[in-house]
Amino acid sequence: MSFKVTRRKFLQTASIAAATLPLAKVVSAETGFVRDPFTPPGSFEGTQTVTGGVCEMCFWRCQLVGKVRDKKLVKLEGNPKSIDNGKSICARGNAGIKLLYDPDRLKFPLKNVGERGKPVWKQISWQEALDECGSKLKAVQEKYGSQGIAMFPHGASAKYPMDFFEKVVGTHNVSEASFFQCRGIRDSAYMATFGVAPGESVDMPNAKAILLIGCHFGENVHVSHVKAYLKGLENGAKLIVVDPRYSASAAKSDIWVQIKPGTDTAFLLAIMNYLVQKDKYDKKFVAAHCVGFEEFKKGISHASLDWAAKICDVPAKQIQEVADLLAANAPNVSIHPGRHVSWHGNDFQRIRAHACLTALLGAIGVKGGFVKAKGVKVKGISWPKVAEGGEEHNLKLMADKYHFAPPGTPTELIRDACITGKPYPIKGCVVWGQNPMQTIPNQQRMVDSLKQMDFVMCVDVMPTDITMYADILLPEACYLERYDYIKTGTQWNFADKHQQYIAPRMPLVDAMFERKDEVFITNEIAKRMGYGDKIPVNSLEEKINKELAGVNLSIAQLKKEDGIHIQDGKDPYGVSEDFEVQLYNEDLEDNDYPAVPTYIPVEEVPKGFTRLVYGRSPVHTFNRSQNNVWLHNAMPVNPVWLNDEIAKKMGLQEGDEVSLVNSEGVKSSSKTVVKVTPGIRKDTVYMAHGYGSRNPMLTVGVNAGVDDQELITKMTIDPETGCNGMRNNFVKLVKDGKTLDIPA
Amino acid sequence: MQYGMIIDLDRCVGCHACTIACKAEWDVPADKGRNWVRRLGPSNTPEGLASTYYPGLCNHCNEPSCVPACPADVIEKTFTDSKTGKTKTMEVAATYKDPFNGTVQIDQDRCLGCGACADACPYGARYVNTDIMNEEIGGEGIADKCTYCMPRVEKGLEPACVQTCLANARIFGDLDDPNSEVAKYVKKGAKGLTSAAVNIGPNGRYYGNKKDMHLLTTTSTPTEMPSASLRRSLMARLKPELRKVKNLGLLGLAGAVLVSGLSEDKKE
Repeated sequence: MSFKVTRRKFLQTASIAAATLPLAKVVSAETGFVRDPFTPPGSFEGTQTVTGGVCEMCFWRCQLVGKVRDKKLVKLEGNPKSIDNGKSICARGNAGIKLLYDPDRLKFPLKNVGERGKPVWKQISWQEALDECGSKLKAVQEKYGSQGIAMFPHGASAKYPMDFFEKVVGTHNVSEASFFQCRGIRDSAYMATFGVAPGESVDMPNAKAILLIGCHFGENVHVSHVKAYLKGLENGAKLIVVDPRYSASAAKSDIWVQIKPGTDTAFLLAIMNYLVQKDKYDKKFVAAHCVGFEEFKKGISHASLDWAAKICDVPAKQIQEVADLLAANAPNVSIHPGRHVSWHGNDFQRIRAHACLTALLGAIGVKGGFVKAKGVKVKGISWPKVAEGGEEHNLKLMADKYHFAPPGTPTELIRDACITGKPYPIKGCVVWGQNPMQTIPNQQRMVDSLKQMDFVMCVDVMPTDITMYADILLPEACYLERYDYIKTGTQWNFADKHQQYIAPRMPLVDAMFERKDEVFITNEIAKRMGYGDKIPVNSLEEKINKELAGVNLSIAQLKKEDGIHIQDGKDPYGVSEDFEVQLYNEDLEDNDYPAVPTYIPVEEVPKGFTRLVYGRSPVHTFNRSQNNVWLHNAMPVNPVWLNDEIAKKMGLQEGDEVSLVNSEGVKSSSKTVVKVTPGIRKDTVYMAHGYGSRNPMLTVGVNAGVDDQELITKMTIDPETGCNGMRNNFVKLVKDGKTLDIPA
Repeated sequence: MQYGMIIDLDRCVGCHACTIACKAEWDVPADKGRNWVRRLGPSNTPEGLASTYYPGLCNHCNEPSCVPACPADVIEKTFTDSKTGKTKTMEVAATYKDPFNGTVQIDQDRCLGCGACADACPYGARYVNTDIMNEEIGGEGIADKCTYCMPRVEKGLEPACVQTCLANARIFGDLDDPNSEVAKYVKKGAKGLTSAAVNIGPNGRYYGNKKDMHLLTTTSTPTEMPSASLRRSLMARLKPELRKVKNLGLLGLAGAVLVSGLSEDKKE
């Protein structure tokens, strides 16, 4: 009896010597369990349960346990003690072990002896790699100043090095994709309205109505958030979904508003104007908490239902129906703040409208409304702020633009400086966990920015499209192999007992090969740049222990508590007397931005083209999981959704293979298939983001599906925040080499 | 007792946690699945525009067509009722329906990997894992499918897909127990995917609103029983020989006929 081990099987289990199955019937000495050698043993017997896992397949950070057999992690599960995700984890969470053991993962420090973009990799020692990083970054700093170094961070492990480069080295040129290509606009717009960043703090489980503008839960999955949404539906909440596409959430909605992309602000203004005109707003709340109601009322008075109906291409009656439904259920309504909101370059105004509508409905601090959980704070320990001044090199201040930008520097200001050398050159680049190639629009500008650098280093767990441009590429321990990040929060349903939790990430298995964590890498670079005396901690374990000490806990204690410390929480409802809503914001006025939420039209679709919009697949996180073999096989490509009537006119059928070309002549490098459906507007096509990598080191994900980001070349910038708008690009489909016009 | 699974489409969000958890639990090859989630629509239905999911798995049918298709050696097997301790001995090939819990199972150490059972399933719930093979009996792989996680259930655990489901859309239990959640769903109208031609008593059932159920049943109900494939009929014909000769590799002429039959099968 023997096993035929195919390449696939090998790939699945590569790098794990202990994976082979025994060749004869096996009786476990411990359990007496008889095992058929052709039947996999499962994860539940003969394994050790290791607690303390905190997921980072996405940023939601569910709490995990690992099932370990012979030092190999065989399965991840939700930590049953969790009051957040509980025993559940999503597809990506479940697939974490295929990231951990991905044979394509970075294993050793690599040096690019080819050119940027066409790398030839040579394995080098950590000593050599760190010497190179330290000396090259120091050389840039000495020649061009600290501002000559730019950083593109993402994820929990990037925080510590980001603090080093910002606070110690002293560069402002840090661009986080989570801000400038995602949620920064939302946070800034709510800051300018409520004075707080909103998170996703709507009390959906206890809402009577939920309004989602573009949110597509089901395709966008964060476990406790989806649980909260489903609990709301189970409790009878009416669901309104505004989306040009019949999304996963639209399919569960009571009202689907098939809006024309880019016009959502007009829709919200009309609702607010209607509520004000018909006296259907919460007068008591407005009187007690809102600033500038009269200016606001005047500023939106033009927004009639008919005005918006025409702009949004939806019936006026439907807008009224939504407004009436919200008013009838106020104040117990969840106006979701959104998450990825960098759509059209007019987004700050739209998100301000989300917040203002919430206030008009009095939906703050009440059941079902905007309610901030009362969690527990654990103070982080990181680099001290030692770099002095630097404001004279702050690109945002120098340009006197983007006065409501989120922290860091708007990406385009950094890339402008890289490409033009003005107002000063940027010659050193540190990319840590981010993939700016597939995250930031206009890939050519990224290539141009990188090509002119004196030095580029990347740190990641996987090869990505950006790592092809590194001079030095460093392999990082992944979230299952390191201490890192202390996740805190509360139970997700405020109707349940109020509890808080603290869950530090603890390793479930040891790091393999030569992978290292962020504290080691950053400290070693710091030493080589002459900042050894500023090092705050010598290991992640020390960092986490010191942080936990601030709340009278320790790693040892957390291990005793199965990875999660739970304590009594506080009632989150209520609104403080001094809570203020800036319906009209004077600071905006002072900086020449519209001070009352204002609709700014976006470019119309040119004849023969269609608008490209994108969203999430439930099996991928951004572009980070393309090479995960389980997730890849769940949805191997990202079909392009095409309206059925348009498809008929074009002679296209479900499953036809196509590529795409945009209005600036940029063609997709790879192909996908057509999905023909009545569930999308005629002027819009849609595809899931996170496909079509061009890095051949990703043997599973390379060229699978189409990279939407490749087609997003036209730059639209949100004027208040400097964030990228990414839905103003227009495409045609290409079949059998023939470019097809899109009929109206 | 008859184990069954309800999928509540009102709750399912199509996230695939179930399919990936299953892969992890049972080491399923990356390109195969013991269960699956297919996105349906958005499509027009008489009830309006609809989009839902077909989370599928073995239905552990009352009259499973896979069981009689198995050409492997018949042995006497004694089954035990986990509740009462009662036993029953039956003659079974390598796949059979458990007389006590109603699940359909495979003795994978006796499987020839011929794929006859997979061919016979109208739901496509079985696959042959060709990454492993039992050379002792000359197989070409090992058939595999959902077991309703019986090894987990026997230890008091939930099936892996049910445990991880973040929507509580998968409900598992004894359909024969009128007080069970699954039985209550059946009373509420949860339906199996059956048609005039395919009516073999599936114990996986779906519950949802009218438009979702319309979309599911019109797109995903099998409407004909798979006809016996060449492979299957050849295997069945070889069955008496197989009883005598343990090693298919020693079959000589008959083996050659079988192999050519298989390659013809692939051309189909």
